Amino acid sequence: MERLGAIERAIHELGKLPGIGPKTAERLTHYLLTADRSQVVALTDALRALKEAVRPCRQCFNPTEEELCRICRDPHRDSSVVCVVEQPRDLMALERTGTYRGLYHVLQGRLAPLENIGPEQLTIDALLERVRRGGIQEVIMATNPTLEGDGTALYISNLLANSGVRITRLARGIPSGGVLEFANTQMLADALEGRRAF
Amino acid sequence: MSEKALALVVRAIDWSETSRIATLWTRELGKVRALAKGGRRLGSNFESALDLLTVCRIVLLRKSSGSLDLLTEAQVVERFPRLRIDLAAFYAGCYIAELLADWTEDDDPHPKIFDEACAALRVLGDPPRATGLRLARFELVLLEELGYRPVFDRCAVCAAGVADNAAAAFSPSVGGMVCAKCRPGRRDSRPLGPNTRRAFQALAESDDAWRRDWPLAVQKELRLLLGEYVTYVRGRRPRLLGYVEKLSLPGHRGTPADSGGGDREPPSGQREDQAR
Repeated sequence: MERLGAIERAIHELGKLPGIGPKTAERLTHYLLTADRSQVVALTDALRALKEAVRPCRQCFNPTEEELCRICRDPHRDSSVVCVVEQPRDLMALERTGTYRGLYHVLQGRLAPLENIGPEQLTIDALLERVRRGGIQEVIMATNPTLEGDGTALYISNLLANSGVRITRLARGIPSGGVLEFANTQMLADALEGRRAF
Repeated sequence: MSEKALALVVRAIDWSETSRIATLWTRELGKVRALAKGGRRLGSNFESALDLLTVCRIVLLRKSSGSLDLLTEAQVVERFPRLRIDLAAFYAGCYIAELLADWTEDDDPHPKIFDEACAALRVLGDPPRATGLRLARFELVLLEELGYRPVFDRCAVCAAGVADNAAAAFSPSVGGMVCAKCRPGRRDSRPLGPNTRRAFQALAESDDAWRRDWPLAVQKELRLLLGEYVTYVRGRRPRLLGYVEKLSLPGHRGTPADSGGGDREPPSGQREDQAR
């Protein structure tokens, strides 16, 4: 096979990124070709640092450049509550709400038996170890409300059943600002089931 | 041309930031694969219908051979709540999805399989100790519809009748029971107890034989033989069979000792402990 030139290689590599097709990859490559050298070097440095400096937090598995992530280091956070999420992106979404002050645990996936993803591929053992070490009073299951997400939460809650820790899960139902008429049947059923006193 | 169908989602993978590819087992069209553009967005035409093991009403644009169909609409018809609160039921449900997704041909409708899958998913985990038997009923219906129903009313080799309490064996390679005379030389055969034979026949013929209180030893032997037969017919061991063998046995509570990796065999001692 003929060796690819620098331009083709850049198009090929950029084209592997999610949401970027061959035409966009070509456009980006030609943009980088004409861009200021310092801008391109800054980009390559940033990409290299992503792989070389970023690693999972020793405690919660959120990506960080330190031993412990910013959230785990924060002394003002409530370390007695741990919110379990599938991915770092879920953690970021919850952080954006600005209302949660506890810690997190990132599973790095969910149980997906059909894709051969079992408990040993996730960080469940590390979560159990955190709970065993003590100091945690509540574990909030914030896995996605899909069958696999619920299966993962169920698996973990079974493991923690005798740990003495309170296990809760996120409420589900009608989104704020939504209209009942357009809510789907599952949303309405969940909302009715999870109703609470005024 | 657009078509409407009632579908069970047996696999769904993310295709892009917003789209999903779903494998749908439909009552009217058999297994189809379709691209759901925007299927990952909450506010799309698919709501949350493309979640695994959800029954939904779909509208599908059929494409020419070689390309994916296009899913334009999906509306939830039924979910199976027990799969979310019982771990054995969850794994058993995934096993049903695996058999439907990997073992059936595209565009080959079998309404009986669809109905049986939904009927099984509705009651998996209720009562918990019957999960393995309910699954066995589904597997036997699937085998029959695909033309692989195992023979239990006579010897599968010589076709001679076998008395109720006579010694018999089960051989996956001959497709059922073998009498004592035909057994020598059948290296894949295993002993088949009279009660297990009765359980197999009852499960194959009756909708509700799985509800009966079959002895634990019978349930264990039945699952083992059926697992071997499914593996033989299919040409490879289903990925989730290991989970099913462990989780559907009585005594499962979803604890670490009861659960584990997909393809691994549980130690024999563990199985016996669970059967007790």
